[in-house]
Amino acid sequence: MNNPHHLNPTSLKSRFTTRFLRALTKIRAQKPISSSSPTEIFRRYRRIKVAADKSMAYSVRSRRIWSRAMLWKLRSRSYRRQDPCSGRRSGKTNQAIMKKSSNENTTTRREDGVGFVEEADELRQLVPGGETMNLCNLLDETAHYIKCLTTQVQLFSPIGKG
Amino acid sequence: MADFSAQSYRQPFPFLDIDPTMESLTQFAELNPQSFILDNSAFNFQTFFPLSINDSLFSNQASQGETMSGFIHNSNQSSVSAQPIFSAKTEMEEISNKRKALDISESSSGNSSSTSPQVSETGIKRRNNSGRGKRAKSNEKEMEKPKEVVHVRARRGQATDSHSLAERVRRGKINERLRCLQDIVPGCYKTMGMALMLDEIINYVQSLQNQVEFLSMKLTAASTYYDFNSESDAMERMLREKAEEAKELERLMREGYVGIGGVACFHSSSTYGPL
Repeated sequence: MNNPHHLNPTSLKSRFTTRFLRALTKIRAQKPISSSSPTEIFRRYRRIKVAADKSMAYSVRSRRIWSRAMLWKLRSRSYRRQDPCSGRRSGKTNQAIMKKSSNENTTTRREDGVGFVEEADELRQLVPGGETMNLCNLLDETAHYIKCLTTQVQLFSPIGKG
Repeated sequence: MADFSAQSYRQPFPFLDIDPTMESLTQFAELNPQSFILDNSAFNFQTFFPLSINDSLFSNQASQGETMSGFIHNSNQSSVSAQPIFSAKTEMEEISNKRKALDISESSSGNSSSTSPQVSETGIKRRNNSGRGKRAKSNEKEMEKPKEVVHVRARRGQATDSHSLAERVRRGKINERLRCLQDIVPGCYKTMGMALMLDEIINYVQSLQNQVEFLSMKLTAASTYYDFNSESDAMERMLREKAEEAKELERLMREGYVGIGGVACFHSSSTYGPL
């Protein structure tokens, strides 16, 4: 799979593609198909989905609140899988991230004085890490998140066609 | 904003023309709710002008003077209107015996005459005292009075001007970002209200997430199929080899054994088949 369309080697698209392809080859290397049972397939799907999210979050690094939140979520999940006693560790990282985001933005859901509370809450649930954002930052993050999701969709859609 | 200047000029007049009727004041009071609906940010303060003037007249609140600068910075017209208000106010002070002004300003319905004279007396006394004070003080008071007058307009509608300014800035930011999102999200029309736009945005994000999920499922299926197919040759080879081994074993068995041994070998070879 060449990427002749990528003009900018440092753009989000190219970063995401390289990372995702690497992850994908890893997945295919480690797990030769032994059976096509639904559970196996589902496990593989989970791995691929996680790889997609992870590579997207890593491409954005920590520049965005949602990417940070997503990275933290993935890391805590992997810790939990490896070591059930790592709950404390993940709790600490949680607090650190919460504090960090609270220092930047104002914490907690509140009226915001604009009157779009229900929609804002729904949006907060959709965007990763949205609970700690005020409306202003939430809209910012939503815009960037939408941009990243559209690049993902663009990159995935040629699958199955070619 | 043209309405604003017109009304701000109108405001001192009710005080001057108060003798004949208070109709002008009630009209003014009636006007205010309308203007309130028209434009919250600019006209908030005007609605409560008749009521809040009492507080300013009867209490010395120097701290409010600080916010005046913010208020004047707010709207150009206010700085222009400050002048006529100042002059009107000073005229009023000179004509300080017009207690009726205070009466009517106290009660917009204009009924209680018994209690109001007493209160108005104290108010006028205060003003007179302030006038008799040192020049600097009186100047300050005079400066504060127009400040108070100007500030009174802003007081009820917005807690303090710095807060209202900050809120206005925030709302501007939010509107800006909503507009950006409007361009990104298809299906958002400028005529739609903010709530509708947010709903559209939510739907769009959900649909994008579902698309990504679906496409990654597709990817999984494709990779499974591909892996399966690529390894099928190897598997076939393995199967063939195993089958050949099984056949050789069978031959050996038949040569060596007769009966159950042969049958067992046949069974063991058959288990490799379906794989």
